[in-house]
Amino acid sequence: MTSQPMTLLIIISETVLEDILIDEIMDLGAKGYTITDARGRGTHGTRAGRWTQGGNIRIEIVGNAALCERIVQRLQSAYEQDYGLLMYTAPVELQN
Amino acid sequence: MQFEPVVLFFLLGVFAGLVRSDLKIPGSIYEALSIFLLLAIGLQGGVKLAEFPLVQLLVPALLILAVGALIPLLAFPVLRLLGRMSRADSGSIAAHYGSVSVVTFSVAVALLMQEDIDFEGYMIVFLVLLEIPALVIGVVLARSGSGSAQWGRLAHEVLFGKSILLLAGGLVIGFVAGAEGIKPLDILFFDLFKGILALFLLEMGLVAAGRIAGLRSYGVFLVSFAIITPLLSAILGTLLGWMLGLSVGGTMLLATLYASASYIAAPAAMRIAVPKANPALSIGAALGITFPFNIFLGIPVYLWMAQFLHSFGA
Repeated sequence: MTSQPMTLLIIISETVLEDILIDEIMDLGAKGYTITDARGRGTHGTRAGRWTQGGNIRIEIVGNAALCERIVQRLQSAYEQDYGLLMYTAPVELQN
Repeated sequence: MQFEPVVLFFLLGVFAGLVRSDLKIPGSIYEALSIFLLLAIGLQGGVKLAEFPLVQLLVPALLILAVGALIPLLAFPVLRLLGRMSRADSGSIAAHYGSVSVVTFSVAVALLMQEDIDFEGYMIVFLVLLEIPALVIGVVLARSGSGSAQWGRLAHEVLFGKSILLLAGGLVIGFVAGAEGIKPLDILFFDLFKGILALFLLEMGLVAAGRIAGLRSYGVFLVSFAIITPLLSAILGTLLGWMLGLSVGGTMLLATLYASASYIAAPAAMRIAVPKANPALSIGAALGITFPFNIFLGIPVYLWMAQFLHSFGA
């Protein structure tokens, strides 16, 4: 079995941005993504996930470090100021 | 004053939220309830519309839309000058108040059915139409001088968002099927209507309870705005409805449409088109103050206003 070092990028943001963020991510060259609904609390207040506008999503992307860097920079400059946005990366081993 | 007991479910929801009960309506059930309500209201309108010559609707529709567009245009300078709010917040709140609320409308319809007061079924067409111009006006007001909005996204959000899609879709289906064709669906969409509305109001109460806690931070201006605006808009609606020769029920529904503030379609559209606006302010005012005000006090008052004006003759 060969495992391959990759970067996992997790983005937590507002549900209302889902379609827009996905367009951005795919345009920047990601091959795919996984989205789950999320709830929580942050500097933008409690997001209970009750209403579309009150919900969060969690997007996971696995890619090379350069791709993740591009996505982070693009989202930071375009959305961080006005929307709830949390991004973090972790090194992962891709197994297939 | 007439009273529709279904609004008590809203109080139960608020109470549950305030005492931090573990009561939660799961998101997927809430989604299903809202789909049901939108479709049921649309179908109801479509069935009644089928019995009415469409051409005769054109002039009233244009008048109702034009007067409806006045609401955000008048609200904006009040918010900006009297409330000293930012351009983005003023535009966004103006859009919420110019737009309409399906649940408020449903409570008004429920009251009319309970009191056995007839109304023009085609009022539901205006429920669909009135949603759109206010959102566009709000965005223009909020963004003038700050670059172009993402109009494509906004148009998509407004026209193909689930509220307009299901309302308009139900309307067309009801219109095509007619009263006879829709009969097999009566049990689901018409007989169960009030029960589903009750469950939906329970959820609305839970959500509103979260907003009521933050009311103190909104300030006296926004709280008064959220009560005075619907009253003034309702007066506008009552006068117009009376002038157009609508029945008492139709006049009251038009007043309710003008008085109601959107908290489902408008917040999503504004979040995308006017990201600088603070959603807590607009949703808090629309859902935390105006919605409860309308269903408990407003709607009975609007019915009384319509009956009062019609007592002078139509």
